[in-house]
Amino acid sequence: MLKINNLHCKVEDQDEVEKFILNGVSLEVPAGEVHAIMGPNGSGKSTLSYAVTGRDGYDVTEGSIEFNGEEIGALAPEERAARGLYLSFQYPVEIPGVPTLIFLKEALNAQRAARGEAEVTAPAFIKLAREKAKQLSISMDMLKRPVNVGFSGGEKKRLEILQALILEPKFLILDETDSGLDIDALKVVADGVNTLRSPERGMLVITHYQRLLDYIKPDVVHILAAGRIVKSGGPELAHELEAEGYDKYIGEAA
Amino acid sequence: MGVIKPIAAETALIDTLEGATGWLGQLREATRIQGLPTRRHEMWKWSDLRRAAGEITTAGSITLTGAASGALEPADGETVELGIHASAGASAAVLGLTVKSGRSVTLVERYSSAAGSLGNFHLDIAIESGGRLERICVHDEAEEGVLIASSSIDLATDAKLTQIALAFGGKLMRNETHVMHAGEHSEASLHGVYLLDEGRHFDYTTSVHHTGPGGTTRQLVKGAVAAHARGVFQGKFKVDRLAQHTDAKMTHRALMLDDRAEIDAKPELEIYADDVQCAHGNAIGALDETALFYMRQRGIPLVQARALLIESYLAEPLDFVSGEALRDELRARLQQRLRAIS
Repeated sequence: MLKINNLHCKVEDQDEVEKFILNGVSLEVPAGEVHAIMGPNGSGKSTLSYAVTGRDGYDVTEGSIEFNGEEIGALAPEERAARGLYLSFQYPVEIPGVPTLIFLKEALNAQRAARGEAEVTAPAFIKLAREKAKQLSISMDMLKRPVNVGFSGGEKKRLEILQALILEPKFLILDETDSGLDIDALKVVADGVNTLRSPERGMLVITHYQRLLDYIKPDVVHILAAGRIVKSGGPELAHELEAEGYDKYIGEAA
Repeated sequence: MGVIKPIAAETALIDTLEGATGWLGQLREATRIQGLPTRRHEMWKWSDLRRAAGEITTAGSITLTGAASGALEPADGETVELGIHASAGASAAVLGLTVKSGRSVTLVERYSSAAGSLGNFHLDIAIESGGRLERICVHDEAEEGVLIASSSIDLATDAKLTQIALAFGGKLMRNETHVMHAGEHSEASLHGVYLLDEGRHFDYTTSVHHTGPGGTTRQLVKGAVAAHARGVFQGKFKVDRLAQHTDAKMTHRALMLDDRAEIDAKPELEIYADDVQCAHGNAIGALDETALFYMRQRGIPLVQARALLIESYLAEPLDFVSGEALRDELRARLQQRLRAIS
């Protein structure tokens, strides 16, 4: 479903110095599977999520990103989104002045238009939003407020998952979805994610800690260090990391 | 100091104002002696009127619709709809308006100008004690015209002025508003929104002079400027020694939509009283790239995402328009314009 081959990516820092963050990442997530990416800070986890979703400034210099057999490396972010690629942000962005419901309706209908599907009417959309919001204990009042403005860390993460429930992407990348969540909020978010698990859908769960993986059980765990996958294995790898830390992999990558 | 050699536009303006008295007479005299203002005049340093009027050679006219005579005294609750159109050529016109004590009045001015115009429309407004005026200035149609909408507003005690300008700019367009603020529970608000497409120029120049104690002034001006366009904001609060307990806040925020946009801002406080609350804030920035990516990642195309972000950035001052129909109309015009330029 998502096939990343030998991906090299460079970014420009604030002093306009170019730096390679990904140095040949290869990874394949088949439909129906959940893969976790774990790695120390600065290993390139967020860069990988931005490179795959097409953020400006993340310059792919080598390698390929295939999604359902199509090379998507040259597509705009909105084109990748319309093909079903969804990123749950580590730091969801505040958009003052744009009510969440309006934002979500515009997003859903823009994706549908790009796929040649009919627009969802306002009443049908409200019904859909209400139903999905309930599942995540999000009030309709909250959805009338501007996107993420004044939301707590937990509310922002729940809203990321709500958006996924409404947009129904084919593939989800969850970037540090557990950061900033207490255990109750983590369960709510994980439950939401688990309802999206299906044989047709793939997921890439990026996390620093093993904790999230107790709730969203991965099929495969990859360890990313210094911009490369240095080891892949089953769920037990996450437990090993929790016990032993990343030190030996940092050494290997260098 | 010798009289400068007038350019054709100045001669045309001086000729067409032959025999004028009052404000028009003063304009003629100023033009005769000093010429049209240039960037050498402090108040006009970013809006060189003489240069903008360079190709104008003939006299023109200002057509006023919605007002019968040279002085208006609207009834309580009345909405005055003025259409002000400047034809090609140099022209000036003046109108007086008084809000009588205890009356509440809405004034909507819709400006338009033809290519090759140099128009100056001046409003002399008095708001008597206990009077309220909501003034909406719509500067949305001025292709290649040069248009100055100037006004002097006399705000008495216990009175209220709310002004909201919406501007899309012209070859050179300026809203220049001077308020004499008597304080004593009086409130003045001078808000504005400007959205300038390529090549357009809009200048919002305002001054509020607090002469009495206890007055309030609020100003929120938001702008967005495309490549090769220029937005100018000059805001001045002057507080006399007598005007203790004045409470005045000025905020100007603007977006450069392109590296080749130009925004010039001069917020200014001149305070002679020692017990006042006066503040100004000015911020020029670019569209939030992170927010743009977030929206695109959700499937919203770049053009639409930009328009949504700019609209949400600009819309706030329009919230001060109290009439719902008018507020919706102005928002719709802003959205329409955004779709056209992004």
